Amino acid sequence: MGDITISRKDKFIYGAKKGIPITFGYVPMGIGYAAIAIKAGFTPLQTISMSFLVYAGAGQIIAASMALSGATVIAIVLTNFVVNLRYFVMSTCVLNKVEESNTPLNILAAHVTVDESFAMFSLSEDSSIWIYLGIAITAWLSWCFGAAIGVFLLDMLPVIVTNSFNISLYALFVAILTPAVKENKQIAILVLITAVLNIVLSQFLGNWSLIVSTLVGAGIGMYLVDDEYVLSGDA
Amino acid sequence: MDYISLVILGCAVVTFIPRLIPALFIDKLNFSPKFEKFLNLIPYTALAALICPGVLTVDSQLWYIGLIGAVVAAGLAWKKVPMGAIVILTVVVLITVYSIVPMI
Repeated sequence: MGDITISRKDKFIYGAKKGIPITFGYVPMGIGYAAIAIKAGFTPLQTISMSFLVYAGAGQIIAASMALSGATVIAIVLTNFVVNLRYFVMSTCVLNKVEESNTPLNILAAHVTVDESFAMFSLSEDSSIWIYLGIAITAWLSWCFGAAIGVFLLDMLPVIVTNSFNISLYALFVAILTPAVKENKQIAILVLITAVLNIVLSQFLGNWSLIVSTLVGAGIGMYLVDDEYVLSGDA
Repeated sequence: MDYISLVILGCAVVTFIPRLIPALFIDKLNFSPKFEKFLNLIPYTALAALICPGVLTVDSQLWYIGLIGAVVAAGLAWKKVPMGAIVILTVVVLITVYSIVPMI
């Protein structure tokens, strides 16, 4: 999609279509978040607003759970800061890659940067901001839509169904990562090292381990992975 | 303002700021090739860290449920099945596994 004759609208729609698999995970997860939020005393409007304004999957579920157990505002906000600090890294990666952008578009793109939109876009050939916004805004709206459904869904879904949907985002992560692992042995080894590192660090660092493992892993990758595998395309 | 509105507002601010900072400064920065390489490696390591060990907690009691899901998804991706189909098929496989596992 590097062709300049393709309109912004077409690029956005192309991205939006690419983002559809994310919605398969976000709608059920959004319902799950809403169920906890309602239980914690959020109004329907507050529940949906949080999805729109905060837009952080795990962060929101943790915040709602903490509110349910009566934690202080400070404790909830600090925990969210730590849990969501990884978006700084992801936003930097995405914005470093995008083309055809400007500051207002970058700010919008930054707000809709989450694990899934970042991962899908970063490991694709695409670099237009319009494609990224297509992917990411589709995901964002589906997350809010899930919360809206959850608010009005009075009964919890059966445990088996919700547990089965819990896998959907992981299935997506695995689906994004597998082609790279299959193609490149060095990347495969790096992925394995980082996975083991995070399993170990999560025992000691709790919420910090994800971001520490990601950065340390990339640092190890500097020596492990040959330049030509990771320096393609953007300059 | 009530407790929950403060929670939402506070979380919105601390989540948006880390996302926003790169948006304001990225155009003014010129990264060295070394740092570019570091940034380009992050998607791989972030995904690895997002998957492990989180995938093992998909079911809070049965750790192997998530492992089965991950193996199924990886197998399908290896065979170049489209992403949307991978997500749906993995969920279907897990619902099937649950109907076989006697407990819950």
